[in-house]
Amino acid sequence: MAEFLTPKNLVIKIVVCSAVLAVVMCLCALVGTQRISLENVLAGPGQGPGENTDYEIFVGVRIPRVILAALAGAALACAGVILQAILRNPLADPYILGISSGAGLGVIIAVLSGITWSFWAGSPITVFAFAGATLTVWLVWYIGHLAGKSQVTSLLLAGVVINAFFSAVIMFLTSILKSHQLRSTTLWLMGNITEKDPSVLWVSAVCILAGILGLFSICHRLNVLTFGQEEAKGLGVDPAKTRFAAFGLAAFITAIAVSLSGLIGFVGLIIPHAVRLVFGPDHRQLLPVSAIIGGAFLVIADTVARTIVAPAQLPVGVITAIAGGPFFLVLLAKYSRKVSWLK
Amino acid sequence: MSGIIEVENLSFSYSQRVILKTLSFEVTSGTFLAIAGPNGAGKTTLLNLLCGLLKADAGHIKINSSNITSYPIKKLAQIVAVVRQEFVPVFDFTVTEMVSMARTPYLGTFGFESNADKEIINEALETTDTLQFASRPLAQLSAGERQRVFIARALAQNTAVLLLDEPTSFLDLKHQVGIYDLLKAAQLEKGKTIVAVTHDINLAAQYCDEVLLLGGLADYHIGKTKDVFSPRQIEKIFGVSTFAGKVGEEKFFIPLGKFAKDSKHITSKPSNGQ
Repeated sequence: MAEFLTPKNLVIKIVVCSAVLAVVMCLCALVGTQRISLENVLAGPGQGPGENTDYEIFVGVRIPRVILAALAGAALACAGVILQAILRNPLADPYILGISSGAGLGVIIAVLSGITWSFWAGSPITVFAFAGATLTVWLVWYIGHLAGKSQVTSLLLAGVVINAFFSAVIMFLTSILKSHQLRSTTLWLMGNITEKDPSVLWVSAVCILAGILGLFSICHRLNVLTFGQEEAKGLGVDPAKTRFAAFGLAAFITAIAVSLSGLIGFVGLIIPHAVRLVFGPDHRQLLPVSAIIGGAFLVIADTVARTIVAPAQLPVGVITAIAGGPFFLVLLAKYSRKVSWLK
Repeated sequence: MSGIIEVENLSFSYSQRVILKTLSFEVTSGTFLAIAGPNGAGKTTLLNLLCGLLKADAGHIKINSSNITSYPIKKLAQIVAVVRQEFVPVFDFTVTEMVSMARTPYLGTFGFESNADKEIINEALETTDTLQFASRPLAQLSAGERQRVFIARALAQNTAVLLLDEPTSFLDLKHQVGIYDLLKAAQLEKGKTIVAVTHDINLAAQYCDEVLLLGGLADYHIGKTKDVFSPRQIEKIFGVSTFAGKVGEEKFFIPLGKFAKDSKHITSKPSNGQ
């Protein structure tokens, strides 16, 4: 009797991974420039404000930040899984379709224009990043479908060309920024998680989780779509509809993640591969597990980023790139014999 | 008796190049039909038209008496399964995962297989003798084993019609015969209608009931294999002289070029295009 992935089996794996994520989040929330003790945190809020500062820092500052990191990590890892599947390309990541350059351009425009208004508790940078990312993705999609019949190749080409063009514009605009503007922009471009208003956090959480759930519902079709559109049609899957839904939802959760945390590289590329090496390529399992592991990875990376040169903070993108590479190589060395395309 | 597949006045061209012209034939349910012909005669194109991947310029194809274009993609995949020429997937799916995907047209919202689905998958793995490497990635199998997995997938799709594009290319003699035995068993035991594009006229003669010989454009012949396959016909369609012999009911053909050792024994002489 062959072994199948059952819902029960998957739920057990998700619960175990989620428990690990919860522990990682709690431990990371205890670590920081200001030392806080677990005992004080467990003691509760006390009689009033200021009585138990450890608890207040833990609940009011650290927990929202680790939740933010977990959400951004989950969204980027899921978007990586989806884009690698629909582009049938193991090298695809959430930024390959122009999301990074679009969001970056949005941020620079926000900084240059000196806009200070805020929209629904989000800073202009967050709003402009989201708008830039979303608009660029639709531009890439539109050009990709104008260009030719082989939509996957056209999409990739359109993404690469627009990325290159917008990156050049970003470099030009960065060179004319004033020094105080330059710092915030550069930090954002390198990936920077900062505390956000709770309402932004919760709405982002709902949007990202809903996006991931939507993607989960098409995972069995994505499995088939990785064989190409002829095979997908033969197995009853409409390639155009599935690709559109997958692309739209992946772009949506990436745009939210990018607007919250800046451009964090490597998570969307490496986490899907790492999870695939250990758990296999079935997207019904790959997507939820990647979301959790991606979240945990970014929580740890962010903790390192805010503590390693304390009291200063490093952009988290630096840590993900430095730590992600060797981490992936270790996995590769251990599991590569199981994976044909790595040979 | 009306056919499970009915093709009427079918024409198809790629931009300016006409591939098929006013082609008509019918396949009765439970028949094993071979589509043979030289390269570029439109065999694979016809197969792609029969599974709804391409749309005809003129004429129509009916499956179960309904026009193929009237079927939603999912519904058509419950009636017609396709085995294309062998390929290695981008990601390392195991044999079980691969065969399980055959159930995609029957799955619900989150796409998990029911117990009935699992039984069908297991049966397909057992029938094709692929259960022994069910947990291995497809890329680790030999070409013959991989082709058996693709046939297992098509069987697990549980369709009345099975279309195959050169199922034995790249396989050695033992595996070629093994694949045709599998297909014949599916026809005889499950009553499947099988349409296979093939270059091997001898295997087609031994295993198929009927053959559609495509010679390009409106030049085609369909009928019982023993009627359609003749040295003259093969020489006309393929432009190759053959030695024809007979074992039992069916003829066999050995293609012989002018430098072949036994070319003096050829049954059909080159006719200089006449």
